[in-house]
Amino acid sequence: MVGTPVLFVAIPLLAAFLIPLFGMIWKESVRILPGIVLAYLLVLAINLMNYVMVNGPIVEVIAGWAPPLGINLIFSPFSGFLVTLMVFLGLIVWIYSYRFKRNVDFEPAKKYFILLMMLITGSVGMVLTGDIFNLFVFIEITSISAYALTAFYTGRNSAEASFKYLMHGSLASAFLLIAIMIIYSQLGTLNMADIGSKMHLMKPAFKISAIILLFTALGIEAEIFPLNGWAPDAYAEAPGPVGAAFAGIVVKAAIYASIRVIYTLFDLSGAYDLLIIIGMITLIIAETAAIRQEKLKRMLAYSSIGQMGLVMVAFGIGTEEGVFAALFLMFNHAIIKSLLFLSGSYLVYNSKDKLIKEVNGIGKFLPITSFLFVLGAFAIVGLPPFAGFWSKLSVLSAAADSNMLLIIALVLIVSIIEIVYYMRVVNRIYFFKKDETVSSQRPTFNALIAMLTLGAIVLIVGFYPDAITGFLHRASADLMDKAGYINDVLTLN
Amino acid sequence: MEDTLFKLLDYGIYGTAVLVILVGLYGALVKRSLLKIVISLSVIDSGINLLLVAIGYLKGGTAPIFSPGYLENPKVMVDPIPQALVLTAIVIGFGVTAVALSLVIRLYRHHHTLHIDEIKNLKW
Amino acid sequence: MKKFVVILLLAVMGYYISAIFFDIGFGNSHLVEGISPVKDAYLEETVNTLSVANTVTSIVVNFRGFDTLGEVTVLFLAVTALGSILYKKRHQAGDRSVLFSASKIVTSGSKLLFPAIVLLGAYVFIHGHLSPGGGFQGGVIIATGFLLMLLAYENFTVGHNALSVIESLAGITFAGVGMWGLIYGGSFLENFLPVGTLNDLFSGGVIPIIYIAVGFKVAAELTGVIYTVLHEKG
Repeated sequence: MVGTPVLFVAIPLLAAFLIPLFGMIWKESVRILPGIVLAYLLVLAINLMNYVMVNGPIVEVIAGWAPPLGINLIFSPFSGFLVTLMVFLGLIVWIYSYRFKRNVDFEPAKKYFILLMMLITGSVGMVLTGDIFNLFVFIEITSISAYALTAFYTGRNSAEASFKYLMHGSLASAFLLIAIMIIYSQLGTLNMADIGSKMHLMKPAFKISAIILLFTALGIEAEIFPLNGWAPDAYAEAPGPVGAAFAGIVVKAAIYASIRVIYTLFDLSGAYDLLIIIGMITLIIAETAAIRQEKLKRMLAYSSIGQMGLVMVAFGIGTEEGVFAALFLMFNHAIIKSLLFLSGSYLVYNSKDKLIKEVNGIGKFLPITSFLFVLGAFAIVGLPPFAGFWSKLSVLSAAADSNMLLIIALVLIVSIIEIVYYMRVVNRIYFFKKDETVSSQRPTFNALIAMLTLGAIVLIVGFYPDAITGFLHRASADLMDKAGYINDVLTLN
Repeated sequence: MEDTLFKLLDYGIYGTAVLVILVGLYGALVKRSLLKIVISLSVIDSGINLLLVAIGYLKGGTAPIFSPGYLENPKVMVDPIPQALVLTAIVIGFGVTAVALSLVIRLYRHHHTLHIDEIKNLKW
Repeated sequence: MKKFVVILLLAVMGYYISAIFFDIGFGNSHLVEGISPVKDAYLEETVNTLSVANTVTSIVVNFRGFDTLGEVTVLFLAVTALGSILYKKRHQAGDRSVLFSASKIVTSGSKLLFPAIVLLGAYVFIHGHLSPGGGFQGGVIIATGFLLMLLAYENFTVGHNALSVIESLAGITFAGVGMWGLIYGGSFLENFLPVGTLNDLFSGGVIPIIYIAVGFKVAAELTGVIYTVLHEKG
């Protein structure tokens, strides 16, 4: 073993405090140091994942006090899988944004890399923690980095999008604190496993209030309808790699938190129906809104919100195949949507308004980038033999096993809507005449490497899905095993 | 006499804290000036911290500090955990308010107005 | 119309939330039956194992020290975000924006008060484990002293680089002490120095060291925030 789970948080924090000091000595170190940290974390994550698949979950205590007195971190097949995915995507985003815009001064570049590293660290901390108040602190770390990164460009609209995000995020943390208060005043503890084991002693009125407040708070971060008003603006105004980081890293952590709350902390059976209903409403409204968009990044943002609705529906089915389908969807969506955001950024690089009309005929000038964008579009719609096909198939089979025919019908209708608006863009890229007033920009070498890596993964998983289904089966079995989770944490000495 | 006083305190303290939170929420939802919205967010944070500290009180309790001479006559101590949580929550609320005010400064730089109706560039 | 709907929604929400809290009761022991709460264990361990008089300090720095590390990071990120959002290129940077100069009372009084305020702040964060107070409270008091001097005198400056170096060094101390505990003790942030006796100045192991570092960090960061916003001209 090359380390313990606490290093996922401790090493980036140490690096973040060191970067201003190193920046005074050697200016390039500001860009290189986050890359070294993220590469080391990826090696650590893969190492720990191999260990956990054989030996079972790792529970690590902080400050030497066993839970429920102290805080603990949990690296199980479920959380470890998500952590590996997030750190890998973080490394890809770092490679892509190494020299993304040519005319950035030293001060903003230093702050950009510190904030990007803290965004990834906050999300990884949200997934690893086993304590509710610690979850609140990591949500705040992620949110403040996200507010600052959204307002990075000094155009006219980015500050407004960031302010909208900040208002919604503040309300989310307020509701989360009230829910923590209600739970603590009844049960006297803040540890997730401890709360899960004592939840049956709480009065039902308190339980319902607590779960509604928690679900609202985490839903604002996870972009569920009607709490996602901030999301399209934030994705559209943020820089390209930051949009990919939001879609692939931050939202996944928020969904993990809400699923952990519903599956492990509370024992209400009606919560699963709530997930299905809200997921379906999110899916329908987001996909129909995506057809009417004229800006490329807003269209991708609404598509991303719709996919998260589908993930919620799959979690709400409640069986192990449902969880397997949801995790497969999360993995595919993270990789494919990041690829779409990263390549889409270069397609509209020099335009002011980033409209879809401006990608006409760009297929001749940026061949590799356009091919990767089209690959991503085919994959996310669900065409075989690309990766998205297998995940949608598993959702349909899980729904069929539980006799939920409405979900099957809905998924098929929504897939047709997705084909419509993605194929519109593909059509414009290859078959329209190029507009002479828009100039295209060739991607840098490391941006090409980042995008090609993601494209290769899409193809590999599409042709050989068994590469990751082994991990997914272990992860879904681990989530359904609530007694095992409580036992692993509370019997530590 | 002491019982009715405590009943009054009971409704008074929790009621005041919830009222402060509601006033802050009303301001954040209804007001049209950017600065008033940021102040309302700060008021919501104050109300929540007040509520959190009030949860930890125990009747007749004293501060959870073992000063010299405590062990001779021990008394009931109030709950120290909500106080530690509030320490963290106050600092985090300060951080978010600082970022919010810097965004207001930048919006004012571009649009030269603090009124929210004139800044709505991003629509549906 | 919109105000009426908002007031209605808030009234409903307020009714339900206050009903919950009135049910809990103020000052009663409101835990459900049969649970041994965590706070009794904290109160006992503070005296016996850690020898720290102030229970809230031992919770903030030792039992839930990970939360404090996250909170210190949130402060650091807030200052970084402030610098990133308000960034102006070199030739556009402005001087202090001053509306009118301070009066005689303020200028002469602040020179007398400033050392006393700094001394009070240092006392609060050094004695954090013995009396109410600690790193955050002491750091804020010191920053208030700097605010007073910045408001009274137009040409009072604090070096921006010096603040940044203090901030980074204090953060490295905190994380470094934690890593040291990981390497030599067994878990992150574990106490590896000997604990003294109760109510001594040098009791509690690493707890005073961490709290002093936090005090310096908070003072440097808050002064940096005030300084950045004061130099916003335009």
